[in-house]
Amino acid sequence: MRTLLLLLCSCLLLFDHLQAQNRTITGKITDNNGRPVPGASVTIKSTRRGTSSGPDGVFSIPVPPNSNTLVISAVGWTSKEVEIGDQTSITVTLTAKENTLSEVVVTSLGIARDKRSLGYATQQLKADQIADKGQVNLVSAMEGKVAGVNITGASGGAGASVNINIRGITSFTRSNQPLFVVDGIPISNDVDRTNGGPNGTLGDQQPANRALDLDLNNIESINILKGPAAAVLYGSRAAAGAIIITTKKGGVNGKSEIVASTAYSQQYMEGLPQVQNAYGQGSAGIYNPASGNSWGPKFGSTPSVANGLLVNGQPVPFKAYPNNINDFFQTGTISDNSLIINGGDAKQNFTLSGGYLTQNGILPNTSLKRANVKFAGNTIFRNKIKVGGVVSFFNTLQTGILDGNGASSLAVVEGLARSIDLTSTRVLGTYQNPDGTNNWPIPGQDNPYYDAYMNPLKSNLYRIIGNVNLGYDLFPWLNINYRLGIDAYTDRRKQIFAISSARVPAGQDLESDIYRSELNGDLIITAHKNDFLTKDLNFSALLGQNINQRRFQVVTVEADALAFSGFYNTSVGSNFAIGSAESTTLQRLLGYYGQLSFAWRGYLYLEATARADESSTLSTSKNTFFYPSVNAGFVFTDAFHINSGILSYGKLRANISKVGTDAPPYLLANTYQKSTYGNNVANFSFPDGAIAGFTLNPTIAPNVLSPEFVTSYEIGTNLGFWNNRATLDATYYNTVSTSQIFSVGIPPSTGFTTKTVNAGKMTNKGVELTLSVEPVVTHNFRWDIIGNFTRNVNKVVSIFPGITRFSIPGSAFIGSIPSIQVGQPYGVIIGGLIPRDSTTGARLINPGTGVYATTIANQVLANPNPDYILGISNTVRYKSLSLGFTFNFIKGGQVLSFTAASYKSRGAWVETGKDRDKPWTLPGEILSNGKYTQNNIQIPAQTYWQTLGGLQSEFNVYDATVLRLQDVTLGYDLPASIIKSWKINYVRISVFANNVFHIAPNTFIDPEINTQGAGNIRGLDLQGTPNARTIGGSLKVSF
Amino acid sequence: MKRMLILLLLAGMVLGSCKKYLAVNTSPNTPTTVPPSVLLPTTEIGIAFANSNDLDRATSAIMQQIAGVANQTQGYDVYNFSGAFDNQWNSELYGGSVNNCVAMINLDSATSPAYSGIAKLEMAYAFSILTDIWGDVPYSQAGQGNKYIYPRFDKVQDIYQGNPSLGITSLFDLVNSGLADLAKTSTLKPKTDDLVYGGDLTKWTRVGNTLLLKFAIMLTNVNPTMAKSVITSVLSGNNYINSNSLDFEVPFGTATGNQNALYNFNYINRPGDQMLSSRFLALEQSLNDTLRLAKFFTKPNGVFTGFNNGSNAPAPPQATRSQYGSYLIAPVANPTQLGAAPIRLLTNFQVNFILAEAALILGTPGDPNAYYQAGIQASMQKIGMAQSDINAYFIANPNVVTLTGTTQQKLQQIITQKYIAFTGNGIEVFDDYRRTGYPILALPLNPGGDDPTVIPTRLPYTNGELSTNPNAPNPRPLVDVKLWWAK
Repeated sequence: MRTLLLLLCSCLLLFDHLQAQNRTITGKITDNNGRPVPGASVTIKSTRRGTSSGPDGVFSIPVPPNSNTLVISAVGWTSKEVEIGDQTSITVTLTAKENTLSEVVVTSLGIARDKRSLGYATQQLKADQIADKGQVNLVSAMEGKVAGVNITGASGGAGASVNINIRGITSFTRSNQPLFVVDGIPISNDVDRTNGGPNGTLGDQQPANRALDLDLNNIESINILKGPAAAVLYGSRAAAGAIIITTKKGGVNGKSEIVASTAYSQQYMEGLPQVQNAYGQGSAGIYNPASGNSWGPKFGSTPSVANGLLVNGQPVPFKAYPNNINDFFQTGTISDNSLIINGGDAKQNFTLSGGYLTQNGILPNTSLKRANVKFAGNTIFRNKIKVGGVVSFFNTLQTGILDGNGASSLAVVEGLARSIDLTSTRVLGTYQNPDGTNNWPIPGQDNPYYDAYMNPLKSNLYRIIGNVNLGYDLFPWLNINYRLGIDAYTDRRKQIFAISSARVPAGQDLESDIYRSELNGDLIITAHKNDFLTKDLNFSALLGQNINQRRFQVVTVEADALAFSGFYNTSVGSNFAIGSAESTTLQRLLGYYGQLSFAWRGYLYLEATARADESSTLSTSKNTFFYPSVNAGFVFTDAFHINSGILSYGKLRANISKVGTDAPPYLLANTYQKSTYGNNVANFSFPDGAIAGFTLNPTIAPNVLSPEFVTSYEIGTNLGFWNNRATLDATYYNTVSTSQIFSVGIPPSTGFTTKTVNAGKMTNKGVELTLSVEPVVTHNFRWDIIGNFTRNVNKVVSIFPGITRFSIPGSAFIGSIPSIQVGQPYGVIIGGLIPRDSTTGARLINPGTGVYATTIANQVLANPNPDYILGISNTVRYKSLSLGFTFNFIKGGQVLSFTAASYKSRGAWVETGKDRDKPWTLPGEILSNGKYTQNNIQIPAQTYWQTLGGLQSEFNVYDATVLRLQDVTLGYDLPASIIKSWKINYVRISVFANNVFHIAPNTFIDPEINTQGAGNIRGLDLQGTPNARTIGGSLKVSF
Repeated sequence: MKRMLILLLLAGMVLGSCKKYLAVNTSPNTPTTVPPSVLLPTTEIGIAFANSNDLDRATSAIMQQIAGVANQTQGYDVYNFSGAFDNQWNSELYGGSVNNCVAMINLDSATSPAYSGIAKLEMAYAFSILTDIWGDVPYSQAGQGNKYIYPRFDKVQDIYQGNPSLGITSLFDLVNSGLADLAKTSTLKPKTDDLVYGGDLTKWTRVGNTLLLKFAIMLTNVNPTMAKSVITSVLSGNNYINSNSLDFEVPFGTATGNQNALYNFNYINRPGDQMLSSRFLALEQSLNDTLRLAKFFTKPNGVFTGFNNGSNAPAPPQATRSQYGSYLIAPVANPTQLGAAPIRLLTNFQVNFILAEAALILGTPGDPNAYYQAGIQASMQKIGMAQSDINAYFIANPNVVTLTGTTQQKLQQIITQKYIAFTGNGIEVFDDYRRTGYPILALPLNPGGDDPTVIPTRLPYTNGELSTNPNAPNPRPLVDVKLWWAK
């Protein structure tokens, strides 16, 4: 309603009459790349009359009839005089001064700013740093290219989610993914999960993070606002930083353009261990067709009754299938096409774009199809009123198959017995019995093809992201803008478990409709005045108001105990009570914010912001919360006129900021919910026939709930050397998270297991370095190197009095629980460790069995946090050829690998095929009569490897250090001499590869895997989809 | 002027009322109040589920009626309980049963004493499981949420006998209070939401009195005077479960999600984890009781196949294993309704064995042998043996069905028959074993855990309670520490 009124008011303004004496010139100031230059001074030559360009680089100025020249100047740019002639609209392109580091970046609320004026760290990625690299997911495309950011993909599965954390994890339980903002509108990057049957999300089908819906071809730039100071105007929503995405627009350079691109690539499974091919199916050297392991006889053994290879006098077919694991994976394909039509000029412009991507995954029956259409238009009329809007429509279809340990095809295939032939069961009919049921001979498992083709999850998402924008220059120095944006999607999912599937033997047809929407309205009033109060002092102020509403709904109909196979509609089910559910949430927030910025002589910048939020989710007495920030930037090279041959630019910056965050909805009251008992081994759920049952929610409502706060201290410097041939951006930060909202464990004998509280403290300290060097620049040859270094040290300082540990909300296997533990970094995995001799550190052996003693529970099993991350991007250009490649080095961190465990315990790993006939001894000591002696108990190879292959054993925790050639792109621009005759702007041909190779010195698996995908649970490889290598090429033509 | 007007309009829009806009924090997903008719089914299923799920598997393995062959039950068989029973403590007993009983009791006492009365009986039963399994447990301060955030661990003797100085009401008085509520006029009365008796409060009164018998017999070693007086009083009231048709047994269904835990575990989710103990098989064979055994356990291809408790030998092929049989997985009258067997919590045969023991040990009224024989009859009838088969068994096995020898020998006979009759209810037979030492059991092969030299006399406290409740005993007592009432 409020928005409507605003629109009405603005319409009234259309009837405003202009002064006749002066003509008004409007224009836009851009850099060489067409990006706006904000805050540039525009004066009429020989007068003192002037104005300055707004955040979008646009200005308007009344010009007396006798004046004909405008002087455009901005700090860091070469001044320019422009003859007006009889134009009313002009575009002015400024050239950056050589010895300044000037870059226009998009900051909070979509405001373009000169980077030198900022008192906090941001980093920008441009289109060519992310596009044409074979990436499907925007977040993956950023890996290795931004300092302070930690990105880990779930897997190489089609559409699998990718986790991103900026400057560590700052909240115990809330999402720690940054806020994604597209063209000024916050959008959802949530991961909506559908339980993979009784395993919960531990074995689901790796759904997407919703930023996946965005088309990389259509992205102009990505700005990463790293700390709370940078993102503070977004308020609560950006406590974990913000990713500001600007899509392509029309009117750049004042000309129309059509860009068409097509890309095709292939994907290959990458990263599974080497296998042995000497021993086949069975146990203890005896063939057993019902065994999933390769502890049977050696290939070539003489068949005998004793070794199980002679049955009824007939030898059993028994040979190695060396490629049986690799053969299950297929060559994936990605086809990516896009068309962008831009037209107009600085005053009136439009863009229409469309994209279509299809991906067939590396696993059978996995795919992603993504279509998007966008239309945007902007206009300025009466020289004062800016109207703009954009609407994007997305349709994303994903088909995934079950993942993870236990009754998924991957759990069967990863470590598959060496004598099982999979190729013969690849097509319909061959993975089934004649009655359609699963034909796999091993109990508790599915034929992997049966599982892949019969138990998929399909997701069909329709999404709209759009905004309208209305701006009015009330005075030359005062602008009022309203922006209303919405992101809404419906994801209709269908998950099938065929009858006889190992996970849900009775069969299941699950229909789940997920709806999510976010509405944002921002009223922003900006004022800008040069020579404010005194000469050389520029001043700007911003006052804003935000309304935010988020809705989420998931309605699920779960039809269990299917009557027959082959037809999947809920009508085939006979029980609808177990998983059918409805859940709706609504939360609202009102924010009021302001910002004051001062710039003194273009080298000293001071800024203060404040925001107050009112949230629907907190206790009424605590639901209004205020948080301020201040930041300062000082370009000391300009202040002290330093411009030596070496140091050409130097800036110091510092900030202190605080951000508050509200709670998830509905925590304030004690409630009842539908009753269920038990877990995956035995369970009961109401209704009991026609009788309903309710139970108290096991979480006690808080006495009072107040917001979470993150306080951040940041200092940094930007240095330029040798005329900025080398630049360094260095930041140190220290953030303190307090008053965390979470459910703390209370004695279950209270009748409840948790209570919602505000408590706890966590710190993140870190260093970010970005070093850019141009070692060689000649007329034809240019080499750019950008190195990004990230180090973040997280520490959980306190949780709650008396509580030293609790598990991160989400699914977990008992025995390896991702946890928050006092004194440890966030997310350590808690499990059992083998007791040790305290003096020598040797592990203790059970003298009765020769294997390790029973583990001691509740120890830190693995720490998924890396020590540091180093990404190095190179771009080498020679004439029209360019070669880009990015290395990413992750040092430290640990992964608990069920894949490694499986390869060991099932006797598939190449090492398990060695010296099988010899006795083995586990390294360790035996404790008897208080004395430790070296273990000398001999055990068979099978026992040895199965001991080391215990799923949650410390032996399957690996150092995740890995060096990866992240991507390589070779591009070629067709010479202008050729294409000019075709009336074509440019033609670019690229070939690319990503995940080219990796070296992980301390493990035989690819440790950069995170089966649980985007979220707070990290460091688990639960026998999920492995990574993929992509190789392809693209063609881009601009008309 | 126009500009000022616009500014004013804007200011008005921004500063408009926001109170209603933010008042959206009432959950549409979970109600803040519910009628007692949806809590009663939860608590009835709760105590039955607690009785038949993991606690039953652990106690049935300790009591060597079943043997574990894989996963957790295999560990229980050799006393490896580490990390176990949190679900039972947290979500079946204190949560699920006790907390929702407290909610029913706290309802308006004027309108719903019927629910309050039933809740007190159910809660007494739930607490008896807790204290009998774990010893000292939160009781007088338990299940009340914020009121006692760190509930005190009350002593077993205080739970059974009460302790006014600590504000502890005994289990007996809790039952008596429930019986008093049941006698009141109640506006709200259970109907079909009472899964067990369909709202027949007179039968609930019998449950209350039968609970008094069950609790009293626990005191034979430590307070025989009280035991005798309670039992004598219940006997004279003659309003207890004295017929199989009055048994307190919670019905289950055949649908997925509504099956009893014995079936759901052994046939649906974990068919390979446990089977008949060869020791129990040997006992039953020695008593020529295989007709009854065939109701408790399956007989694939006409042969019982057991497995020795704690054995490291490979288990027999799954298809040949004897698993829980018809009596425990389907109603006796409808053997095809798999999963729908009721969970029997208080039974006529149990009452007869209690009265036989009380008459023998405490000298309460009645003939021990008559009660003993009535108990065996009730059990055999309940599992669906033909009366002719029962009669034939009595004729063929006079030594078994007649109490003979010393008082201890007679007690051994009574408890052994109770042990057989209660197959599938490990908690009850574990209680009797620790209180009387019968039936006589040997250690399993390869015992481990806290103390591999003795059969456990309790289960270890759960990690969840130990790590959150400063009032929990620290360190926890080992599983060889006897309970107050134990022999």
